[in-house]
Amino acid sequence: MKTEEDRPRRELRVARRTLIKAAGATSAALGLSGLGLCGYQAGRDPDSYTGCEGLQGAAQSFNRKKFAVDEPPYEKVGPTRRADGRTEVIFSRVGVARSAAQMGKRIEDLDEPFRSYYEQHPEDFELDKQNSELRRKVAEDSPENRNRYILAEAWADAMGAVSPRPIGNEPPEISDFPGRRSRSPFKMKSSAATAKLIKKVSYEFGTVLIGITKLNHDWVYKYPSSRRGFAMNEPIEVPKHWEYAIVVGTPMSWDPMYANPNYGTSNDAYSKSRIVAFRLASFIKRLGYAARPHTPGNSYDLMVPPIMVDAGLGEQGRHSIVITPELGCNFRPAVVTTNLPMSTDKPIAFGVQDFCKNCKICAEQCPSGAISKADKKIVRGYKRYQLHSSKCFNFWNSNHGSLGCRVCIAACPYTRKSNWVHRTALQVTANDPTGISDKLLAGMQKRFYPGPEPSDFYAATLGGKNASYREPPWWLRTEDFIEL
Amino acid sequence: MGFFESSFFWFIEGLFACLAIIALRTWTQDKGIPMPFWKWPVVIVWVLFLAVSIAYIGTSIGEGEMDAAFFGTIFAAVIASISGVVAWRLLRMR
Repeated sequence: MKTEEDRPRRELRVARRTLIKAAGATSAALGLSGLGLCGYQAGRDPDSYTGCEGLQGAAQSFNRKKFAVDEPPYEKVGPTRRADGRTEVIFSRVGVARSAAQMGKRIEDLDEPFRSYYEQHPEDFELDKQNSELRRKVAEDSPENRNRYILAEAWADAMGAVSPRPIGNEPPEISDFPGRRSRSPFKMKSSAATAKLIKKVSYEFGTVLIGITKLNHDWVYKYPSSRRGFAMNEPIEVPKHWEYAIVVGTPMSWDPMYANPNYGTSNDAYSKSRIVAFRLASFIKRLGYAARPHTPGNSYDLMVPPIMVDAGLGEQGRHSIVITPELGCNFRPAVVTTNLPMSTDKPIAFGVQDFCKNCKICAEQCPSGAISKADKKIVRGYKRYQLHSSKCFNFWNSNHGSLGCRVCIAACPYTRKSNWVHRTALQVTANDPTGISDKLLAGMQKRFYPGPEPSDFYAATLGGKNASYREPPWWLRTEDFIEL
Repeated sequence: MGFFESSFFWFIEGLFACLAIIALRTWTQDKGIPMPFWKWPVVIVWVLFLAVSIAYIGTSIGEGEMDAAFFGTIFAAVIASISGVVAWRLLRMR
């Protein structure tokens, strides 16, 4: 039988249990809300701006050892040949076609080697002739449309304003070596320690990615694309001191890149990678060894993407750009060739070949149709995807803003912010041998992260809507800052 | 470093999780629902799914990916509702 004294104690007990339950329910609600806010912060945090976290190498964080392979993930299927830098590089040949269009020349009127190239690729001749006309049509767009990109163009110009002095036209046997030829190279203690040193100083110079490989001569142009000490019509004999290739890469600024093709620029990463490569070459020369920077825009004697693959930085994707685990394809690389003995990195295979086979988002988003949805083909003895550079370059001349497109870079599912969502997706695809996650994640990518219609990327005077892949950042919205 | 990347944030989250578990135990006792060991993983898995979904939606909004946030919400709501009903029925089993 309950007494009067028991009653308040029981009420107190009930009140305590109610308090615990209320506190628990509140905690659960607050905890879950906190996770939502934590996710929000992870999504917008500047620290998640892929590749811009610092200069200590922390951004090159993917565990490559786990995915290291002895042979690079491309297939050699027959006799190989080196690329002709005069004709197979769009920037080298396009001026010839443009002049031909102005002067009414036909393919048979052209000088060698352009005549032979265009005879084999007549479609490229027709495409390459068009870009002046396309640029003129873009310029006819309304002032409202043109003026919208004033800040983006100013930003692009500013990012390209700083550049090291070009290496000039002395042959590599002179220009690659230290000024004082009498100085003999310092004897390095070990190749492993040297590689470690070169990587450390490169991070300090500003690189985000770095890899080292032995130079495969197949990647050196047969004929040069620009002079740099070589005769334009004589085959390049690969200098003996080009034993190693050091590849560096820096990212393009995130928000403009995501608002391609109109608001982004390659100039920022071009400039940074150029500076890193020239600093690195200077450093190596000071140690008494030979070094030559090969840098963007077109100061190369070799093809960079396969060297990146050899150096274990990534795999070449469907869009022909190398996909790295850290930056996706949002980077611009440079190479330093040298005879400084270093231990080299192994290539990696982290699932890109399988993913690209199924995904095709870059091909679906490409406004010019330059990226094929078809399988790989044989290019100069290697089985690979190939970008149709003439179609691609024509689109560069079909939109506003800084010259270029880069929509494939923005659309690639590997080019995503460095937060828990995308890092987890990367680990899932890299570690899933069944391929199920590739299909699932590519499907989610298309549904959850859709882009504009490809034809909308064109300027209004070419039938488009001046679309960008995503909205521009606030600081590139001309209309918010300038009276138009 | 902002609050949401700090260790203190995770300490608070842990505190909230402990309180939520104590409250769940108290609530089930009051309701007379037995909680054998196998029911706890059911609850934990469902709550974890909900937590990851909320974090994904927040991340997508933070990235400015509103389509991802919208489809993520629908996807999570459907899965959480169906699995929630199943989990609730399992939880009520005596």
